[in-house]
Amino acid sequence: MNRIQFGEGACEKTRKYLDSYISNELLVETNHEVLRHIENCPSCASEAEARVQLRTRLKAAVNAQSVPPELQARIREKIRNSRSKRWFSAGWGVWALATAAGLAICAGVWWNYSPEKMPALADRPAQNIYIQKVSASLAAVLKVGLGDHIHCSVFRRYPKDPPAVEKMETDLGPSYKGLLPVVRAAVPDGYRVIMAHQCSYAGRKFVHLTLQKGGDLLSLVIARKQPGESLNGLAPAFQSSGVPIYQSAAQRYQVAGFEAGNFLAYVVSDLRSKTNLQIAASLAPGVREFLMITSA
Amino acid sequence: MLLSHRTRTDEFEAAAMPHINDIYRTAARLLGSATGPDDVVQDVYLQAWKSFGQFELGTNCRAWLFKILFHTVHHYRRKWLNVRMVKESGDILEQTATATPPLPERITDEELLAALAEVPQDYRAVVLLIDVEEFSYKETAGILDVPIGTVMSRLSRARKLLREKLAGVAQSYGIGRISQEGKSA
Repeated sequence: MNRIQFGEGACEKTRKYLDSYISNELLVETNHEVLRHIENCPSCASEAEARVQLRTRLKAAVNAQSVPPELQARIREKIRNSRSKRWFSAGWGVWALATAAGLAICAGVWWNYSPEKMPALADRPAQNIYIQKVSASLAAVLKVGLGDHIHCSVFRRYPKDPPAVEKMETDLGPSYKGLLPVVRAAVPDGYRVIMAHQCSYAGRKFVHLTLQKGGDLLSLVIARKQPGESLNGLAPAFQSSGVPIYQSAAQRYQVAGFEAGNFLAYVVSDLRSKTNLQIAASLAPGVREFLMITSA
Repeated sequence: MLLSHRTRTDEFEAAAMPHINDIYRTAARLLGSATGPDDVVQDVYLQAWKSFGQFELGTNCRAWLFKILFHTVHHYRRKWLNVRMVKESGDILEQTATATPPLPERITDEELLAALAEVPQDYRAVVLLIDVEEFSYKETAGILDVPIGTVMSRLSRARKLLREKLAGVAQSYGIGRISQEGKSA
């Protein structure tokens, strides 16, 4: 990842860096140089567009392949069988050794435990690095929801009292203000909406509601689908009234997602995996119905 | 102890199972039609389960699974298919730079995948990891155990090969003639 200055032979240089540009692997300064050139050069702009189009089509074509539904069950069974065989065939010596090892690990974890360091509220570059690091293990389609949750809900100072409903309705806009009663009716007791608005992160627009219960923070993040983007490529964790819900963990965060017409919706929190999935399952039918009407 | 082991199994399944579809599709595209991916994917997950003790929870499970996938596929291909790997010098690839014609809507997913299947496996792997699975160059280098420079050159060559093969398909539809790149100022 080098920084380059474009001058003479700009087309040649741009095309040399076009692969890294498409993969979002250029340094910010070089990225700007490429962007600036593309804005003024129809030929390179067309080349970049054709390459992005090919990448999008290829991704969609690969992800269109169906995966045998029984494969996951078969693998789970194999894993559980291998576990039973291994543990029941072990002698007392192995059990004693394993117990000692377990205790040693617990002691080590307890001894070395230290709270996670979070970037400062004003340090945007450090926050972006944190988001990239945290979401590295996630499927790309789930990173969308996690990124906005951390960016908008985690790195934020909340007023002592949440804004009035009218303010939140205004911030959501006429198309999405109807989400407020839908969400309030579906979330478990004790959760209150402390922020609701439209926002943007990484060049993408979101409808975002943040809920709080004591120290628990949870986001409902909604984004319009981009071409080829779908959760269907993942294995569903749960079905709620016929809506498949997908969930994955990224460090301390749980990211659940479901589809609704042209929208992707995410429930993101640092709650326990089961709790986050339960809240997503309870929100999904109502939110989906609302968004399907909005799509239409 | 059994309870803690069950928790370990649950941890493994929670971390690894959400990626099974990505692993399956990548395996399918790497192996082509000669071998079904089911057995490979099963081997990947059993191998991952055996090695789960070495995996640090909270780190990149997806990249770790893909690394195991590539080891497994390499083993399968050496065992069954006696495949010769691509030379890094790129001497099997012509260095003719081509401009990319727009991808006609008429080109089907099957034609796209057929063109991808013709790209040599080492190059195809990089396209799958970066363009389809959206891994970074650094993650891809870690998965394939090659330097980042190799990832970049393989990606560039793979995309170029794919464009050339699809340009041939487009031409058969009478669309988009290949022209020399870099004519504009």
